[in-house]
Amino acid sequence: MREEVIVRELSAEQRCALNNSRVRPVEQIRTVNKQAVTEGLLYIVGEDGLKEEQLAAVLEVGEDEALALLHEIRVKYDDEAYGIELVNYGGRYKFVSKADIYPYAQKLFHNYKPDTLSPSALETLAIIAYKQPITRIEIEELRGVGCEVMLRKLLTRNLIREAGRSEAPGRPILYEVTEEFMDSFELVSLEELPDLPKYDEENQSLFD
Amino acid sequence: MSFEAKTEQFEGPLDLMLHLISEHKLDIMDLDMEVLADQYLLHLRQMEEHHLEIESDYLVELATLIEYKSRKMLPKRTEENEEEEDPKDVLVRRLLEYQRYKEASQALYENYRSRQDHFAKPMSDLEEPKEESGTTRGNAYDLLKAMSKVLRRVQLSRPMETSLTKRELTLEDRRLQILSRLESLPESFTFDTVIDDCEDLFECVVSLLAVLDLIKDHYLVFSVDESDTIHLQKGVNYA
Repeated sequence: MREEVIVRELSAEQRCALNNSRVRPVEQIRTVNKQAVTEGLLYIVGEDGLKEEQLAAVLEVGEDEALALLHEIRVKYDDEAYGIELVNYGGRYKFVSKADIYPYAQKLFHNYKPDTLSPSALETLAIIAYKQPITRIEIEELRGVGCEVMLRKLLTRNLIREAGRSEAPGRPILYEVTEEFMDSFELVSLEELPDLPKYDEENQSLFD
Repeated sequence: MSFEAKTEQFEGPLDLMLHLISEHKLDIMDLDMEVLADQYLLHLRQMEEHHLEIESDYLVELATLIEYKSRKMLPKRTEENEEEEDPKDVLVRRLLEYQRYKEASQALYENYRSRQDHFAKPMSDLEEPKEESGTTRGNAYDLLKAMSKVLRRVQLSRPMETSLTKRELTLEDRRLQILSRLESLPESFTFDTVIDDCEDLFECVVSLLAVLDLIKDHYLVFSVDESDTIHLQKGVNYA
């Protein structure tokens, strides 16, 4: 019975090796605790995060199972006994310290200054996130101000990237948001963005 | 004369117009363009009086408003321009559209704020050291991006202030220090090697400036790889 469980967890190649006992390495018959492996991998990848499909490929399981494993870990760390939690930003799972830890971190790193984003940067990012891929000219039309310097800054901060060129005359560069953006705004995907507010004749609550 | 200290910052002409519309309780769906144009002009004049620089973007929109106003003053020509969209409708549409993204950006800011309470660790370094191709790649912005990573690392690795004495390290000193260290360094090395004797952020920054100086004088060449590591090599002037 036990032997059977082990065999199911191995790949076809490894099963073949298992049958041929002469070349069977000892490590391969150890049962693995997949949740522990997942946790270890999440520790190693750090802020880069781990994708469902990466985990599935490494553990040689289906993506459903990978997702279930990640979910289990997420639930486990939700418990207040833990100081870190598992988050999903842009499809990448990663461990981050919980918000409750922040005041203590501030005490530890006393000259820590959080990154800031100006209202102009936020406006530009919002426009790109909702309308990507989008050209500089289109952004400028919406904002009514020149955006060349702002786009450069956002590119440098890795919040946006170039996404090919538009078919419009002059083939202007298109921009889109990056995974760093998803991380900075705690988004799993862009579908998660709230619907843009709508204004029309009936809904005049613009300045309420 | 009353002195009004305008501290409000506007993100552009559309932002200013929305502010004026709300301040003067104008109806955006039935916009009084003349009032808006007058108030807009008044605001720009005030900015001028306070010796604030008026960006050209504001002037472009001013031109639109004035054009609209002056056209109203001329006797109406017969419906020759029927086809053309009323510039007022165009402006209202732009204002509404801009307002939507402005609100969306405020919502995004909440997420940004909340994210800052969480910290993650950098990935463990498992990758094999790569062979350097020896070509200079990357522009000044790549270098900036890579440098911001270095600084963050330094800040995180030296969390506690341990000393209050300030060591003065001038750019010229640092340049000489690095030059003299070059001899013992391999043909290719990373910027991290250069700053491994730095005690604080200030010294790292001085080191970067010194390295930039050395790059300019062709003592060093730099390249930045995909993982934002700054690689340095000895340049032509280093014999």
